[in-house]
Amino acid sequence: MFAQPEAYLVLSAAIFCIGVFGLLTRRNALLFLMSVELMLNAANINLVAFSFYWGNVTGQTFSLFTMALAAAEVAIGIGIILVLYRNFKDIDVTEATTMRW
Amino acid sequence: MSDDSNGGSRPRLKLGGHLVPGLAAVGLFAVLALVFLQSSFGEAQGFEQGASITASIGYAMFNIDPDAVSGAVVSGEGFVVAFVLIAIALDVAIDGAVFLAKRDDEEGGIGAVLTDGGREIRETLRGGDD
Repeated sequence: MFAQPEAYLVLSAAIFCIGVFGLLTRRNALLFLMSVELMLNAANINLVAFSFYWGNVTGQTFSLFTMALAAAEVAIGIGIILVLYRNFKDIDVTEATTMRW
Repeated sequence: MSDDSNGGSRPRLKLGGHLVPGLAAVGLFAVLALVFLQSSFGEAQGFEQGASITASIGYAMFNIDPDAVSGAVVSGEGFVVAFVLIAIALDVAIDGAVFLAKRDDEEGGIGAVLTDGGREIRETLRGGDD
């Protein structure tokens, strides 16, 4: 059932690079949050895969903490996007070039 | 007869400098995949037969000694300190989200949270001379 570790690494690299691609090319702040989520989940794939590789549950336990941290990050991110929309009437990240408020 | 020579409505590929960030991400994937596929790994050890992974995660998360419980357990480190730290981080995050989401113009009004014990409302009602 366990593929070669290289397969998991390549899958994780693909998901991570999709996240980087989203961060570099998008302008919508909500898509930024989604991209960061993809990058964090790429790390989770590696943690779970190598947890099995070493026969130790430390990686799986740690991936749960990563998910909780991602939830905290999204909670703050949504709040920031809300304030961004209130102040600029838009969630385009290139619009918010001032910090007047 | 067609206006394709004038542009028409056909979608066209726009080449230019704006493609560089996207190509950088694709290039990063190419480099990572190249490195990963050239590396060599041994055979995976895998988990112990018949061991419950969910139970093992629970034991690892709360520093429970695997010898003290019955059944096969996959070993792991203790994570109870990290658990408490993450709990605090989530608490701070939800407070921060509420703080950010609250409207500024509600802050002095009755609708907002009374952080001064209601002193401001009392002063407004009594005229402030007390």
